[in-house]
Amino acid sequence: MTLRPFDSAQGRPGSGLTFRDLIKTSFDNLGRHKVRTALSSVGVTVGIVTIVTMVSLGIGVRKEMLSSFDALGLETLRVFPVTEERTAFDSFGEPPRKLLLTDELVGELRARGDVLEAQPSLLLPYAMNIGLEIDGRMVVVRPWQQDSGPTDPFVLEPEFLAGEALPRDAPAVVTVNTRALKDLDIAESEYEALIGQEVVIVLRTPRGDNFRLPLELSGIFDTHYGPNDYAVVTLGLPARLEMLSWWYNSHDYLARRGYDSLSIRAASLNDATQILDMLEARGFRVQSVKVMLDMVNRAMIVLETMLGSVGGLALFVASVGIANTMVMAVYERTREIGILKAVGASPGNIRALFVVESALIGLIGGFVGTVFGWLLGKGLDRLIRAIMEWQEIQVQATFFVVTGWLVAAALGFATLVGLLAGLYPAARAARLDPLDALRYE
Amino acid sequence: MSSFAIHLINLHRRYEMGDAHVDALRGVNLTVEQGEFVALVGPSGSGKSTVLNLVGGLDRPTEGEIWVDSVELTAQDERGLTAHRRHRVGFVFQSFNLLPRLTALENVALPLMFSGVLEQERMARARGFLEQLGLSGRLSHRPTQLSGGEQQRVAIARALVAEPALLLADEPTGNLDTTTGGEIMSLLKALNAERGLTLLIVTHDHEVAAFADRIVRLRDGQVAEEGA
Repeated sequence: MTLRPFDSAQGRPGSGLTFRDLIKTSFDNLGRHKVRTALSSVGVTVGIVTIVTMVSLGIGVRKEMLSSFDALGLETLRVFPVTEERTAFDSFGEPPRKLLLTDELVGELRARGDVLEAQPSLLLPYAMNIGLEIDGRMVVVRPWQQDSGPTDPFVLEPEFLAGEALPRDAPAVVTVNTRALKDLDIAESEYEALIGQEVVIVLRTPRGDNFRLPLELSGIFDTHYGPNDYAVVTLGLPARLEMLSWWYNSHDYLARRGYDSLSIRAASLNDATQILDMLEARGFRVQSVKVMLDMVNRAMIVLETMLGSVGGLALFVASVGIANTMVMAVYERTREIGILKAVGASPGNIRALFVVESALIGLIGGFVGTVFGWLLGKGLDRLIRAIMEWQEIQVQATFFVVTGWLVAAALGFATLVGLLAGLYPAARAARLDPLDALRYE
Repeated sequence: MSSFAIHLINLHRRYEMGDAHVDALRGVNLTVEQGEFVALVGPSGSGKSTVLNLVGGLDRPTEGEIWVDSVELTAQDERGLTAHRRHRVGFVFQSFNLLPRLTALENVALPLMFSGVLEQERMARARGFLEQLGLSGRLSHRPTQLSGGEQQRVAIARALVAEPALLLADEPTGNLDTTTGGEIMSLLKALNAERGLTLLIVTHDHEVAAFADRIVRLRDGQVAEEGA
């Protein structure tokens, strides 16, 4: 028989040990001390339960908000004029505006390729007394201030019983709700006949001055749309401008006041951000759903970080516990380490065995923690829904959402915590002198 | 390739113990031929176990050279020593040094795990060695369920399973009664004769040493006498 050369076909030093054997041996070693393994992994379980619960709450709430905001339209911006601070009222009874939303601005925005829609709006003052006159009879009405369009996604499309919605920028049309017609003793059977008829919007100042604005009735919508149980009219922009000009006795109202707001729908979220930056740079006050969402997101991140830190602290404590367990294991198994080295285990093999064992403690704790965290989220979800139902609040949302990546991250993190905790004990084990280890009693 | 299996040149080993030191070996020169059965004898503290540990790559000399199969062990790094222990030598200890949680079969298969031999093949090879050593009925017994002689035979099977050319035994019969010890020595002698295994054993028992082709007597860390 001849001596075989080094690094023969049987394997190379430092390698050799297969991953399967590594895992199996580590599991066997952990299985010898089930109680100790379980106790060592409890810390990881607590940490991971905390983290999974908190992060799943963050994901759930954010997802819920994102879907709500998404429905509002993330590409929508709303621009407002800038008023002077600490200045007395102007002739319009409000602080003067120093930066106006002009037709030029509207034109400029509409000319942009990344703007799908730019819709200005004018608000009628609350003090304005508005009457609706049909066939010589009059009823007091309130204007529906919000323009439908990109402005206000909250508003549902009203249900029209006759005619159709107000065409945008239509010069001389009005829509009314059924309540207004009811107040005028007009029966539902007469609705269709009214469409296209001339009605008159009447303004009256407290001094007694009257202004009559004849408009064509274009549609009749259900009372349940808009402020309940009020007689409501919707008016186009030209009609409003005419009313405001008379009300304030100003022939150049737009030139002096500008529009009250401007709704912009951008082609994309990215475009919306660019337009927002551009308008803000020019000094306008801009609201966007995205800005709100960003704020919410930031708040959520702060919350998640805080709660995550609690879990992180638990994991740190857990890692100390694991390290302690592994150091004890090295002491206990010193002689075994000596034997393993004598029969051909390399320092790397020994290190790998202890690191994997330690990582497995983390993984076991992480697995249990993830399951419990998921169950806790489910339980809390039910509890919240039960409370909401009890409070008669309608909620469909799921607040705790455990995603695949959260499970993967939790398991990975737990394993990493175990692995890091095992590095020092494993290094000690690997460094042991085989002779000293064999003599260890 | 030279014909010697082990060549020790001016081997020194000093153990530092705080401020004091002990010279376990003081210039040992020894050559063991391939297939030779050599017994190292001598009083305790004479350095015989130290020689065995150095040849086995469990320890490093303070000075001198160790050549095993024309490879200079003293020039090897940790990887080289690991490879040496893994492939070239098998150890048999006085206290058997079996892992108590493993069965006889698993204990014997253990060294092959570190060579990356797959489990099925490991077990097959381990079973073969155990059967050859008359332990076919003891495969799934744990060391505590085996007699001293059986445990030592399991340990010998473990030392042989990676098919090393060199077997190192440190007082292999020290924990056994005379009859069992004699059986173990006959087994080792047979392995030496039949397999051409180079055998280096440490003993203070003259009856045990009598099985060897050559007896090397150490005294105070030096070779005092060599003879058949």
